[in-house]
Amino acid sequence: MGTIHLFRKPQRSYFGKLLQEFRLVAADRRSWKILLFGVINLVCTGFLLMWCSSTNSVALTAYTYLTIFDLFSLITCLISYWVMMRKPSPVYSFGFERLEVLAVFASTVLAQLGALFILKESAERFLEQPEIHTGRLLVGTFVALSLNLFTMLSIRNKPFSYVSEAASTSWLQEHVADLSRSLCGIIPGLSSIFLPRMNPFVLIDLAGAFALCITYMLIEINNYFAVDTASAIAIALMTFGTMYPMSVYSGKVLLQTTPPHVIGQLDKLIREAGSVHVRIRRDANEQMVLAHVTNRLYTLVSTLTVQIFKDDWIRPALVSGPVTANVLNFSDHHVIPMPLLKNTDDLNPVTSTPAKPSSPPPEFSFNTPGKNVSPVILLNTQTRPYGVGLNHGHTPYSMFNQGLGVPGIGATHGFRTGFTNIPSRYGSNNRIGQPRP
Amino acid sequence: MEEKYGADALAGPGGGGGGLGPVDVPSARLTKYIVLLCFTKCLKAVGLFESYDLLKTVHVVQFIFILKLGTAFFMVLFQKPFSSGKTITKHQWIKIFKHAVAGCIISLLWFFGLTLCGPLRTLLLFEHSDIVVISLLSVLFTSSGGGPAKTRGAAFFIIAVICLLLFDNDDLLAKMAEHPEGHHDSALTHMLYTAIAFLGVADHKGGVLLLVLALCCKVGFHAASRKLSIDVGGAKRLQALSQVVSVLLLCPWVIVLSVTKESKVESWFSLIMPFTTVIFFVMILDFYVDSICSVKMEVSKCARYGSFPILISALLLGNFWTHPITDQLRTMNRATHQESTEHVLSGGVVVSAVFFVLSANILSSPSKRGQKGTLIGYSPEGTPLYNFMGDAFQHSSQSVPRFIKESLKQILEESDSRQIFYFLCLNLLFTFVELFYGVLTNSLGLISDGFHMLFDCSALVMGLFAALMSRWKATRIFSYGYGRIEILSGFINGLFLIVIAFFVFMESVARLIDPPELDTNMLTPVSVGGLIVNLIGICAFSQAHSHSHGPSQGSCHSSDHSHSHHTHGHSDHGHGHSHGFLGGGMNANMRGVFLHVLADTLGSIGVIVSTILIEQFGWFIADPLCSLFIAVLIFLSVVPLIKDACQVLLLRLPPEHEKELHIALEKIQKIEGLISYRDPHFWRHSASIVAGTIHIQVTSDVLEQRIVQQVTGVLKDAGINNLTIQVEKEAYFQHMSGLSTGFHDVLAMTKQMESMKYCKDGTYIM
Repeated sequence: MGTIHLFRKPQRSYFGKLLQEFRLVAADRRSWKILLFGVINLVCTGFLLMWCSSTNSVALTAYTYLTIFDLFSLITCLISYWVMMRKPSPVYSFGFERLEVLAVFASTVLAQLGALFILKESAERFLEQPEIHTGRLLVGTFVALSLNLFTMLSIRNKPFSYVSEAASTSWLQEHVADLSRSLCGIIPGLSSIFLPRMNPFVLIDLAGAFALCITYMLIEINNYFAVDTASAIAIALMTFGTMYPMSVYSGKVLLQTTPPHVIGQLDKLIREAGSVHVRIRRDANEQMVLAHVTNRLYTLVSTLTVQIFKDDWIRPALVSGPVTANVLNFSDHHVIPMPLLKNTDDLNPVTSTPAKPSSPPPEFSFNTPGKNVSPVILLNTQTRPYGVGLNHGHTPYSMFNQGLGVPGIGATHGFRTGFTNIPSRYGSNNRIGQPRP
Repeated sequence: MEEKYGADALAGPGGGGGGLGPVDVPSARLTKYIVLLCFTKCLKAVGLFESYDLLKTVHVVQFIFILKLGTAFFMVLFQKPFSSGKTITKHQWIKIFKHAVAGCIISLLWFFGLTLCGPLRTLLLFEHSDIVVISLLSVLFTSSGGGPAKTRGAAFFIIAVICLLLFDNDDLLAKMAEHPEGHHDSALTHMLYTAIAFLGVADHKGGVLLLVLALCCKVGFHAASRKLSIDVGGAKRLQALSQVVSVLLLCPWVIVLSVTKESKVESWFSLIMPFTTVIFFVMILDFYVDSICSVKMEVSKCARYGSFPILISALLLGNFWTHPITDQLRTMNRATHQESTEHVLSGGVVVSAVFFVLSANILSSPSKRGQKGTLIGYSPEGTPLYNFMGDAFQHSSQSVPRFIKESLKQILEESDSRQIFYFLCLNLLFTFVELFYGVLTNSLGLISDGFHMLFDCSALVMGLFAALMSRWKATRIFSYGYGRIEILSGFINGLFLIVIAFFVFMESVARLIDPPELDTNMLTPVSVGGLIVNLIGICAFSQAHSHSHGPSQGSCHSSDHSHSHHTHGHSDHGHGHSHGFLGGGMNANMRGVFLHVLADTLGSIGVIVSTILIEQFGWFIADPLCSLFIAVLIFLSVVPLIKDACQVLLLRLPPEHEKELHIALEKIQKIEGLISYRDPHFWRHSASIVAGTIHIQVTSDVLEQRIVQQVTGVLKDAGINNLTIQVEKEAYFQHMSGLSTGFHDVLAMTKQMESMKYCKDGTYIM
């Protein structure tokens, strides 16, 4: 009776609930390590903040914010453990995996806001440069660096490692890749170390520590206090550069956009993910079309709903007559290619079904099945220009009528032959792309 | 002596030049040209150092005149432009005249910059080949700069210029700059000096800016004169003619100058020798060697090998020119001998020279554009063919005024963005008044408050963008339209406010422990001004929110929460959940902006109250307490916004639709022919769209479209306005089990089929 629970208000206080969920997570042994790191991180961050105020260095503050970001990433990791244990509730009908995305987005945005604050602070400092005490500067740098590296490398942070791989490269990564490529041109032996994509977090930690070391040196040697401000700006810009692609990626997930890896394949199949409106001719077999479309799409989309429209449900044989308000603009008609129908022209009724992209949950959370799907082999891939779909609507009916009564068994036979060349791949995809119960 | 020196300097750069190209070591055929190029560049550096000494005594216009005269003499002698080649038309003469004028102006700027900031800095700034500057400009002003390496090179160039501007303590010149009016020779130099003084920078910094300008002019000049040189019949002929014309041009000016001014030169005779060396080294030799090398080598290689020796020899000469070895040369050349070490080497110059070398090396390297091209096919031989024209044609550039006009029109179209825009303008106006006044009165407090306001404006700008973008049409990637951006922007604004609250909190805790002495007399007027601005904002936004709240949200919202925003900061922490806020009139974006303005207002009020308390009672503790209180208030007022935005972003069932949906789902079950339903998902997509998907199982004899119509009708009444329904019959499951070969799927399908058979009339349990 899932729907009944819709209205049960949570009785316990938020704190109690939080404590309960926390116990749930803490029961897992893996999360102990994260909690331990979190405590260490908190202590170190406290010390670092004290040193920041004692050295009066804004660059060290900018670097400390990276430590705080590490704390957020640990929290995100905990959340991802929690999410794995939770089942979808009636109110959150899609489950809680999106919380992971939201946590990643929030922590990257917070890091950028911190960087913005640093920029503002440095702009004020350019007017009146205060004196920097180098006493704890180097100590703080190395404590923060070792903490950051330790956290990043020893904990397997699933959400962040996924995002950092899936998002586009930051400019810092690009420059390092470019430099290391030219370095490998000189010493080819280094290519195994430098050529793979660098972890952006490790990169920014190292670069920030380097900037702080330069700051320390120049202040010690020459009392160039302005260097502190300059390196703070540099660290803030690097933070922006590192975090921006990730927040764009996770923000796009939150905005329910069609994920880019799906779109290429959808271009071949049809155009949309999530829920799809398919328009077919009045005489097509609806259930068969539905089965085909579902079969094609649900390797890409885990939660799939296909709605079928018949043009002539209201007005017979009028292509431009939309049935409901849902199907307002038929700007892009795309033809669904069907394997069976390729060989025989007279089975056109299904190929002439333009699909109207309507929408829903394009990418729900990071590891939606679409990610690992190798392209489905298409037997009849054609993307027709605008207008072709319409023309199809006007083709005489006599062409189609033969294909309508295709019995289920006959159809399945045809499809099996269509897919026999990719059984293993298809099977494995299906396991990933299993529909949510 | 200088020859010896030049050879000395050559040893370094020559070796370095060989080492520069790691992959393609120049072949023996090219080596002699490279050596020649390096040698010439070193001589040019020497020549420029000498001309700096000459410019101490000779007026800059006279100097250029003599230079041009000598060059014209030699070039006419060598090239014979009048006797050889085709005749030049009148039209071409006009063009040559223009060319000469531009050339004169550029060399005027160049040598004036030389007098201002010394030979070392001039060499560093001005001696870059065209290709370096062009690729720098293309990185800066076009999107397709050519990869990260070019970006890095451009960044190095800018850092180098900034180093020269900021970190170069050229003390002696600064001393000279204190009385620049003293030694102005002519109206022209006086004019340039006044322009630099107007910019408010020291003399040598003005010289740096002047040289950067001259460099850009030079590149443009070279590009423009390329066509003319082909018309006339070769660059050398054009150069010769142009020099002659410019000599004629400068002649009257020099005559006037020498008549009106008394010359500082004691004997022109002693200057003949240095002038000859300068003419040879700077003008003639450089020109000829450049033209030879550009024929024999690639342009990029030429630029690389040319820039390195000249920069290095400039550094070395800058260090050694004042030593006794060269001092003899100076005493011979200079009429008035004064003991000075001006424009010395400083740390900033060395750093910037290193950066210049790096950037010249990177920027002049040939760009690898191969990655940018799109593969269009294969040639008959099997080599891939790429299309590089893509981005040149795809970017249809829009003119800036038109773009501004269009976006303004878009902004003013709708009330939300209009409100934000007007308030942003007001805020920016206030900020700039504050900044201007702060600069005028030299008050740091005002300026830093202005920066703070600017920081706050960023939230407004984001809100404005979100309000604009939310009206964009749906694209294939944003298939539902951009409405959800407003929610995301509201969420970010909420995070922003939390960060602000956190910083205020930390600051006030630090001040509680150690309360500082405050100077209160400046704070009050500023904070009163800020308060007024923010109060206007609050009025505008709250009006907009009560006004726009009816129609924008559709039919199904309770409206009694619309005015609770003003007080929820205080009242909300009592009871935990406040679902009524969702959809309570304003969209998340506007709520974020509103809360931002509210937080600013609270800040101003806090400052005023604490100022009064401090002035009246001397309670210095009032200030941190006030900020503590404000931080807590901001935090509490943001929590509901964040919570609501989170719920929408997590695709929660919209709370205000819960009841109706429940009833609607019960109704659906009673529809005739419907067996069960599964996977009911309903979520709010944006302020106006509530989306939903549902799968229904029906008996085989029902018409699908009729069922779809019925279910759509029922759910539409419940407030779902974007619905997708999948109608499944038994045949569907049979098809699916036939289509899919995976074992798991067959298992799942058979389960569903069984459920269809057994739950004929009962409810289907997920």
